[in-house]
Amino acid sequence: MGKTKTKVAKPKSGLSFWQKVKRSRVLLLMCLPAVVFFCVFSYAPMPGIYVAFVKYNYRDGIFGSQFVGLKNFEFLVNSGKLFDLTRNTILYNVAFIILGNALAIFVAILLNEMRCKWFKKVSQTMMFLPYFISQVLVGVLVYNLLNYDYGFVNSILGKLGMEKWGPYSDASVWPVLLVIIHLWQKTGYNSVVYFAAIMGIDAEIIEAARVDGANGWQKIRYIILPGLKPTFIILLLFAVGGIVKGDFGLFYNVVGKNPLLYSTTDIIETYVYRATMTDFNFATASAVGLYQSIIGFCMVMVSNFVVKKIDPDYSLF
Amino acid sequence: MKKKLVAILLTTAMVTTGLTGCGSSDSSSTSSTATDTASTSTSASTETSSTDASAGTDTAAIDTSEHVVITYMTTGGAPTNGATEEMLEQLNAILTEKVNAELSIYYIDWTDYLSVYNLTLAQMDGTVDLVGTASDWLDAWPNVKNGAFLELSEDMLKTYAPQTWASVPAENWDLCKYNGEIYLMPEDNYAQWTNHGYAYRLDWAKEAGLENGVHSWEDLTTYFKYVKEAYPDVIPWDSDGTQYAQMVSGWISSHSNYVSIDGLNAGAMWGGTKDDLYTVYSPYMTDTDSLVEYAKMMKEWDEIGVWKTDVLNNTASDNREDYKIGRVAAEQHHTQTWTDLCSHKPGYTIYEDDEDAETGFFYFGEETQNVVALSITHGAMAVSAASKNPERALMVYDLLRNDPDCYKLINYGIQGKQWDVNDEGLRIQPDTYNKDTDAITTNFWWGRNDDLEIKDATMNWDAIDKLYAEYDKIKINYPYGQFVADVDNIQSMINNISEIHTNYMKQISYGKYKGTAEEIVAEYQAALEAAGINEVTAELQRQFDELYK
Amino acid sequence: MAKKEKNYAVESSKVKIGVSDMIIRGIGYIFVTFYSVCCILPFLIIIGTSFTREEIIRAEGVQLIPKEATLKAYEMVCKSGAIWYSYALTITLTVVGTFVGLSIIAMTGYALQRKDFPFRNGISFFIYFTSLFQAGLAPYYLLMTQTYHLKDSYFAVLLPLLMSPWLIILMKNFVKSIPHEITESGKIDGAGDMKIFTALILPMLKPALATIGLFLALGYWNEWYQSSLFLSSKVTTVPLQYNLYKVVNEVQSLKNSVAGQFIQLSDIPTESLKMATAVMATGPIVFLYPFVQKYFIGGITVGAVKG
Repeated sequence: MGKTKTKVAKPKSGLSFWQKVKRSRVLLLMCLPAVVFFCVFSYAPMPGIYVAFVKYNYRDGIFGSQFVGLKNFEFLVNSGKLFDLTRNTILYNVAFIILGNALAIFVAILLNEMRCKWFKKVSQTMMFLPYFISQVLVGVLVYNLLNYDYGFVNSILGKLGMEKWGPYSDASVWPVLLVIIHLWQKTGYNSVVYFAAIMGIDAEIIEAARVDGANGWQKIRYIILPGLKPTFIILLLFAVGGIVKGDFGLFYNVVGKNPLLYSTTDIIETYVYRATMTDFNFATASAVGLYQSIIGFCMVMVSNFVVKKIDPDYSLF
Repeated sequence: MKKKLVAILLTTAMVTTGLTGCGSSDSSSTSSTATDTASTSTSASTETSSTDASAGTDTAAIDTSEHVVITYMTTGGAPTNGATEEMLEQLNAILTEKVNAELSIYYIDWTDYLSVYNLTLAQMDGTVDLVGTASDWLDAWPNVKNGAFLELSEDMLKTYAPQTWASVPAENWDLCKYNGEIYLMPEDNYAQWTNHGYAYRLDWAKEAGLENGVHSWEDLTTYFKYVKEAYPDVIPWDSDGTQYAQMVSGWISSHSNYVSIDGLNAGAMWGGTKDDLYTVYSPYMTDTDSLVEYAKMMKEWDEIGVWKTDVLNNTASDNREDYKIGRVAAEQHHTQTWTDLCSHKPGYTIYEDDEDAETGFFYFGEETQNVVALSITHGAMAVSAASKNPERALMVYDLLRNDPDCYKLINYGIQGKQWDVNDEGLRIQPDTYNKDTDAITTNFWWGRNDDLEIKDATMNWDAIDKLYAEYDKIKINYPYGQFVADVDNIQSMINNISEIHTNYMKQISYGKYKGTAEEIVAEYQAALEAAGINEVTAELQRQFDELYK
Repeated sequence: MAKKEKNYAVESSKVKIGVSDMIIRGIGYIFVTFYSVCCILPFLIIIGTSFTREEIIRAEGVQLIPKEATLKAYEMVCKSGAIWYSYALTITLTVVGTFVGLSIIAMTGYALQRKDFPFRNGISFFIYFTSLFQAGLAPYYLLMTQTYHLKDSYFAVLLPLLMSPWLIILMKNFVKSIPHEITESGKIDGAGDMKIFTALILPMLKPALATIGLFLALGYWNEWYQSSLFLSSKVTTVPLQYNLYKVVNEVQSLKNSVAGQFIQLSDIPTESLKMATAVMATGPIVFLYPFVQKYFIGGITVGAVKG
């Protein structure tokens, strides 16, 4: 923060805290609703994280319950799968982040280049549709597409006289399938951010480049892509914070509870869900959440630090 | 400066959350006052109950001047057709007259029911009064331990639920105790069998050469093979891949004298034997040869094509509905489900299409005559520790369970609208009954009572009574009712063991494993051992010894 | 300003179209068409299946074109009439929530981007931090019900979805593309911060407002989680998507739980009912995008200020 302050707010650097408050009272007031909101809905319950360290008794309340230290974390550690699960979760998220953003940028740029208005409208509306299909139905559709006995793919293979394909007993294909399903579902939504960001690029710069004889590819390479960089970095930093949090809905509904596929598809959420099915317990769930938050927090701190080193303008805070 | 700001805001947050703390301590104090008032008023009225202990009509002596609403929490989706409200109106007229209270039903939708049910209990602000619970599937003992339920003293029960108190034998009350206090009112006078097995087409089994029907797992193999050949359009059993635990525990019941302990985990992986009830073991570790044989048979079933190739992802199947219309040849569930399937109900077209059609039941444990009756806390009612009117809640429950008029209203609905009695004294649906507009939903599974039950005319009572009589001859009562395991130190191991069991048993039970049966069973047992199954067994044995010796 | 854009569009079509433009557009049309088809097809299958008889679905799976069309599933959905109340509720929540949320997010985003606002980094961090650490289910639930008394209140659905750190930071990022000179010029003219924001900044933020408004609206439309926690069976009218969530998940949750070993459901929702509910629950929101899209009009014209 110091750096920005010296750069921009130099004339005010000698002011006391209250003077600063007074000077920027309108801006502070503009932030007030949001600050109150996060106090009320996010910070107020936060001390309740303590539940991860107690044997929760409803009558005594969270803070009156017996402190048990790290006992609630035991189950995850003892499973011997903590590392595998964390790795799976992170690898999937990395694939989702990189490919997801690349495809979203690609689509946004293509859409921006198109001149046919109705085509843009219709296609973008269509791209949004998968976002509305609930994950359970996605699971049903994928099963109907891929299953061995009457799936769409296999009935075509059958007609062509080719051997049937059984993805539900072959774990190795699922990383690819899940990434494709994720991209299919989220790209329409994500590309809107980039599309709007392209709209924010100064039209005059683009125009000037054209007049200077830049071709379409050069325009994209030298103007649009750099213009999307801040948006990309913000998206990235947010995604990094949740890098150990998996998309439970997708994995649970599409892979289902098929142990033949767990070796490549099991993430923290799905494992915890299955293992604690008969032991419903708020404390264990909180402990797992806390573990994920702490790793995410460290990752973000590191990435934000790196970004700040490279270009402070792009950092989150 | 940034730090300062964060600090200030965090402090504010803490202060706000101070309120949460207060909130919860508030509610716990109300709950304790509730208990206090309960016990004081109980002591005040002990004399009345001792003078007139036999009758359930001494409620007049209890102060019911204030009209209260008693909320009863149950699992299941809320009805939307208005019929339940209409029934409640009539019921509440009776309840108001007798105990000046009315009933309101609080439904917990099946979707995410465990989290919502437990959150509602954790709220502890008197949202609910009566809570339906179950030791084997609805967290009864965990909720007793974490303080969700009110201790029901003998005096309280005698005073406010006298008929219930009198009808439940002392040894059954003992099974509802934890640390010497009663927490649950059990549904102990209601015949139901939830032991699992296979419902199958008896007529087809006869065609397959099984003259007396299916009586062993080997018979099932014969049956499935025959169905596959003789009826190519029929899927022998369109499983959705979720019955693995029932199948393997059924296999074990059929091949040993194993009796499992309820409520520890979904696989019921620990128990004793009928001859030696109090020596804990896990058949999944000891009965290796039997498991190998099982794995081989299931591989055979898979190869026969009993289920679909992708059975483990076959979530869209609705085998039970398909059974009723003859598109599948078997259904794996419990006896209660079979009683429904074997009855000639409207829409069960198999019986219309084929006069000879009959549904038989092969129950797990038939070969070894190993059948254990349902635990009496399979359905039970508890009173929320935060209830503001625990006495009145008990009084209402006592009426729902024992008063014929209230009982019929809550269970069947309004006579003449939802149900009626035919000449033989059986319960029928009136001609005007329309399922969409008239059906009621109360899910009162926590206090049904055979003394007041009216048998349903549509059920095939000949077949049902015959099987029940057979069960009664061989059954043993659930032997571990008093055992409430203290799992604090082993829960994390149990969780991981459950997960391993699920993973391997899904592959084994549907014949989807790679390699030989011996290899997969060995791998499974090694994984269980690594997850600490022996430690859990030893710990349970220690707790058994404390309780039973 | 609108005139100027029009000019730009005309001009750009006048500039000769190079080979690389042709290639990019060619790829664009082919790829986007392909991708759109992949997106619409499953949706059409859902619609087709919702008209299919249940026995056919169980035997042959989902259908694009129903073999024997039936309206039964839709009759079931509309039977009680409750669905129309759900529509009214969802639309109200969406409109009110989006409007209020967008106003707050825009104000905050602008203030946080002002380089002369000394607290901007502190507050940004304060907001961002909440996306990393959540309290978890039990503390959040108890706070909402015991302290705020929001159980069975629609505010429990409306309020928590008003904003998210992500949307605020995204807004802040959009504001960044508006040059600081505009604020400065407003200051020189003697306008206050609020005046600068409403008169000068907001009109330039149209694409950003459209994007974030769209996200907020989608968030409200698709909401089921808060409803599942805070709207108990005493509330008769629930948001559309929560209805859908219940219909679609009920059987699965039960089958996969211990209770499934004991409880038999009667009247379980059929596949066609699930699909019909999904179609009804998606409803008019799919037509929101073309409406929003008109705000995505090319480029901020800084020249207007500079010149």
